[in-house]
Amino acid sequence: MMSVNEKFSAIRKGLLEFLVLQIIAAEKVYAADILKQLSATEFATREGTLYPLLSKMRREGLLDYEWKESEAGPPRKYYELTAKGQEQLRDTQEYWGQINGTVKKLGRK
Amino acid sequence: MNKVTTINLGGTAYQLEEGGYDALRTYLDTATARLQGNPDREEILSDIEAAIGEKFRALLSSHKTVVETKGVTAVLAEMGPIEVDSGEAANQGAGGAAAPAGGTGPGAEGKEQATGRGGTPRRLYRIHEGAMVAGVCNGIGAYVNIDPTLVRLAFVLLTMLWGTGLLVYVVMAIVVPEARSPEEKAAASGFPSTAQEFIRRAKEGYYEAMKGFPDRKARREWKRRFKREMRAHAAQWRHNWYSYWSDCAPIHPGMGFTLPFLSLLQGAATVLWICALISLLATGAVFGLALPASVPVWVAALLLLIVYGLLVGPLKAARRSCYWGLGHPRWAWSFVFLLDAVVWLAVVATLLWLAAHYFPELRDAIHGIPALAHQAADDIQAWWKGK
Repeated sequence: MMSVNEKFSAIRKGLLEFLVLQIIAAEKVYAADILKQLSATEFATREGTLYPLLSKMRREGLLDYEWKESEAGPPRKYYELTAKGQEQLRDTQEYWGQINGTVKKLGRK
Repeated sequence: MNKVTTINLGGTAYQLEEGGYDALRTYLDTATARLQGNPDREEILSDIEAAIGEKFRALLSSHKTVVETKGVTAVLAEMGPIEVDSGEAANQGAGGAAAPAGGTGPGAEGKEQATGRGGTPRRLYRIHEGAMVAGVCNGIGAYVNIDPTLVRLAFVLLTMLWGTGLLVYVVMAIVVPEARSPEEKAAASGFPSTAQEFIRRAKEGYYEAMKGFPDRKARREWKRRFKREMRAHAAQWRHNWYSYWSDCAPIHPGMGFTLPFLSLLQGAATVLWICALISLLATGAVFGLALPASVPVWVAALLLLIVYGLLVGPLKAARRSCYWGLGHPRWAWSFVFLLDAVVWLAVVATLLWLAAHYFPELRDAIHGIPALAHQAADDIQAWWKGK
């Protein structure tokens, strides 16, 4: 039988973009920060997944980056949300709230 | 003890053990293949390279300057395979699926490199590995990305048409250089020559970074640092290059003198072969040995070529090991190469002149070549019309 973890893998994948938006909305971060924040959760992921996602989100105009010097090594890309990204985040949060409500409400008397 | 390769990731040079280098190469090749058709391919790859570099840096310290193979494997496992979400995967088609995880086939890879903008410019070389005679067909096969056996077949068919294929082959064997260095071998089949490809990517990252700096001071600092790192990388690379060559054979100064002698022998063999070929085409006999009527001329010519190849093969191998045996510095090589080429040409010219002078039949045969060619053209025309 499929474990819960396996069953939800597609859902987790879909939610990853939402969570990345939420992390970047809080402060300017670079990729390793995002991975670190995700690492302790069910959404732990790796560079191989995150970089293509970040590039796609940037292409869709949800986020932007700027180069910043780091103490050690070459400069890093720091990501931040664009206005469109913030709007998308608000919409998603609202929708997520609705879904959550539905999940809690349905089937209960 | 393990051999070390230097690579450039995001503008910084790293030294990897050879096994680690291979693993990284495979990872990046697979990533490139999976991102086929993705508009952000270059950017994602450079991000990935920078991230790998950062992880490597964490493994190194002042008294540990080389990333071991197991370190590279661990870092690559941490990175995870490149995954593009399903919405994007739809438009990337077979590109991603066609590339197996370990060691992409030369065919698929070659095609991609020939069309992709990141590809190395392909050049025509003779490829010695797996060659039948001089590697011409092998080289052409790699160049146009088809099976060399088909090329060989085409040459044999062409040879049946009045020896055209043979002639073309001989000319190409002389004119087309042989792929000797790893870079040349890479260019012969269109694989990215790693060092250059990485330098190109690093440069792209450099300009990308330049755009992001707010003030001139930061920009200048970044420029300075980038240049310094690239210089260090180039120096390291040259060093590896030399050690690659000197690893091939023990250094022996006497080989510099043996070389012209070997060239002399090879030159003599070449002249003999040319004479035999001419006399075969002109008179149907080789050095007085008449050809049996049942053997067509082209078969005899092919046999001659094979005999010549057998004769010259060991000489060539000996010469090559002499080149390697010379070791550094580089100017000494170019000098010996030049001397060698001059001696070779002189021997061939002298022998040809002598032959033409003392054997009137041969001179007549050489004079007869244009007429022979005309005759051949006429014959072909007649045959064509008769059809």
